[in-house]
Amino acid sequence: MTLVFAIPSKGRILESAQGFLERSGLKPVQGRGARDYRGTIPGLAHVEVAFLSASDIAKELAAGSVHLGLTGLDLMHEATPEPEDRLVSLTPLGFSRADVVVAVPQAWIDVSTMADLDDVASQYRARHRSRMRVATKYLNLTRSFFDRHGIADYRIVESAGATEGSPAAGAAEMIVDITTTGATLSANALKVLDDGVIMKSEAHLVASRTAAWSERARDSARDMLDRIASQARARKVKEVRTRFTAADAGLVEEAKSRFGVEAPFGGPTSSGMLTLHCPPTQLFGLSRYLRDRGADSVSVTELDYVFSRDNPLYETLAAALG
Amino acid sequence: MTTPTLSPLDRSLAALLDEAGFTRAEPPLLMAADLVRDLAGEALARRLYLTTDADGAELCLRPDYTIPVVKAHLEGPRAREAAAYSYLGPVFRHRQGMAGEFLQGGIEWLGRADREAAEADVIAIAMKVARLYVQGPLKLALGDVGIFLGLTQALDLSPAWRRRLAKDFRRSGMLADDLKRLAEPSGGPIHSGLLAALQGSDPQAARDLVTDLLSIAGISTVGGRSAGDIAERLLEQAALGSGGLAPDKAAVIERVLAIDADPLTAEAELRAIAAEANLDMGAALDRLAHRHALLEKAGVNLGAARFSTRFGRDVDYYTGLVFEIHDGTGTVDKPLIGGGRYDRLTEMMTAKLGLDLAVPAVGCGIWVERLALAGGRA
Repeated sequence: MTLVFAIPSKGRILESAQGFLERSGLKPVQGRGARDYRGTIPGLAHVEVAFLSASDIAKELAAGSVHLGLTGLDLMHEATPEPEDRLVSLTPLGFSRADVVVAVPQAWIDVSTMADLDDVASQYRARHRSRMRVATKYLNLTRSFFDRHGIADYRIVESAGATEGSPAAGAAEMIVDITTTGATLSANALKVLDDGVIMKSEAHLVASRTAAWSERARDSARDMLDRIASQARARKVKEVRTRFTAADAGLVEEAKSRFGVEAPFGGPTSSGMLTLHCPPTQLFGLSRYLRDRGADSVSVTELDYVFSRDNPLYETLAAALG
Repeated sequence: MTTPTLSPLDRSLAALLDEAGFTRAEPPLLMAADLVRDLAGEALARRLYLTTDADGAELCLRPDYTIPVVKAHLEGPRAREAAAYSYLGPVFRHRQGMAGEFLQGGIEWLGRADREAAEADVIAIAMKVARLYVQGPLKLALGDVGIFLGLTQALDLSPAWRRRLAKDFRRSGMLADDLKRLAEPSGGPIHSGLLAALQGSDPQAARDLVTDLLSIAGISTVGGRSAGDIAERLLEQAALGSGGLAPDKAAVIERVLAIDADPLTAEAELRAIAAEANLDMGAALDRLAHRHALLEKAGVNLGAARFSTRFGRDVDYYTGLVFEIHDGTGTVDKPLIGGGRYDRLTEMMTAKLGLDLAVPAVGCGIWVERLALAGGRA
């Protein structure tokens, strides 16, 4: 039983996802040319890579036909009415950031909050004897957000693409859509309501709770998550090395408290060799400090991975699977 | 999962409704999903089983009978006449942890001008139906959305607040917040300076001004609302000002909403409050009294029933009477039968069909599986 790992095959998220996989040592090899939708990862024999659209990844995760995948938080919530039961986010990935928002025509100068919208929706229904239409592809998010704000007098018009054009085209009165800069909304004479941000979304590494998690699939997941966590850990620090005789345990303690460094391999050796992991923002302060205390030279390098005994991402997964 | 079949009792139910003069309606299983979204909103739309035809039109398996039965009636040649329909068969809704296909019975009385008599008829039949299945105690719960709407009219509230209270009345939990907010002066609305300037000015002139401002910006009708609509609501907001509701009015609403008693006592309490607060609710209360008299005449024991002014149903097309029949032993938690007056649904449907027609409508849904359970037969 192999583990199926789904990664985006197209769209906005693709480039960032590729960068992330490469850094994490999980760069897939596509089988038989670029048009093959299955691939493998060198060194992980029991992992099969599926190339899918980000929304299909969320759906397949919810259905349990994919074990792990990269997809958006917005799409996770759209794939199933009960995301908590079927999916678990192992970690946010920091890219593909965008907001899912409620936007109305700018001409609605009397509407700036959801409460205004609620009132207008009731008024609209009384006047037109039909419900106000909301164009969106986010059915679940829209329903639960509107529910929370007590808005009942509306109906959804499903829209697969170019949602922002729906009001101007007369297909809907307003929209719920994803936006990064708001420029597309403005270009379509729409505005976001003051309290109309439904979700701040970004790409997540997501696991399916409903997939068949065999021992072998768990083992593969442990290896993959170890690479990802080690890479993430490595990105948070730079390695600082030096050697001078005055380096002692007291100096390491002071460096820890002043610069938030860690000494992954313990205190200085008898000859004063010292290796520290330092947050990038503290780097120059630390190198000044070490030279002030007697170091002749201090070298700094980027790290690819920092492997550690614990595997926090896998622990999150194991806890969710029970 | 097996297709639910009619039990011998279900067949007796069909015979009972047949004898009572109801025409058995057999609408198609497949219907336009758009119709449900428009009429019943997202609360029901999210539970639909959807499919598409070859032309891409979205269809659903019928989630209830009321919408297709009313539609068939309005599209038929006798749309202007009174008609009584019954139904019994499978409906389809996503239900978490339960079968999506289940049996539903029900009756609909359409086009009857003698409204209270039609309402009493429906309740009397519903009680008979429940008795068919359940020998043990039954509880009849009554309410009337019209009483609350009448109260908001009589209290002389602003249109915006009337709309809001009417809407939130139908959604449990939101009304209490509203009343709290009504009693407190609100923070200034948007464009408060402009609104203050408009307050008290000649309504037509103010409306023209706002319409002009919008048209200078090149805005006519955007998103289904005309410049006039937007102007009008701005002016409503201005009229709302920053003051809350007078405390005595809020107190009257609280008192009315606290009523929960047997129907005749509730009626007397409502009259007392209306008289004391000098509210013109005579018409709504007379209708209530008339209905109660007719129910007693039909043999419904009002002494064992409960009338609550807070009782609104979670389907938002009810406009007057609402009722539910419950299992008195509590074995079955959810209502066995539930219904009411739904003129708002027929109004939306005639508008959609382009008919110039007002069709009063009252009916109820019969949950035959719950009835069988309550009667110890499942």
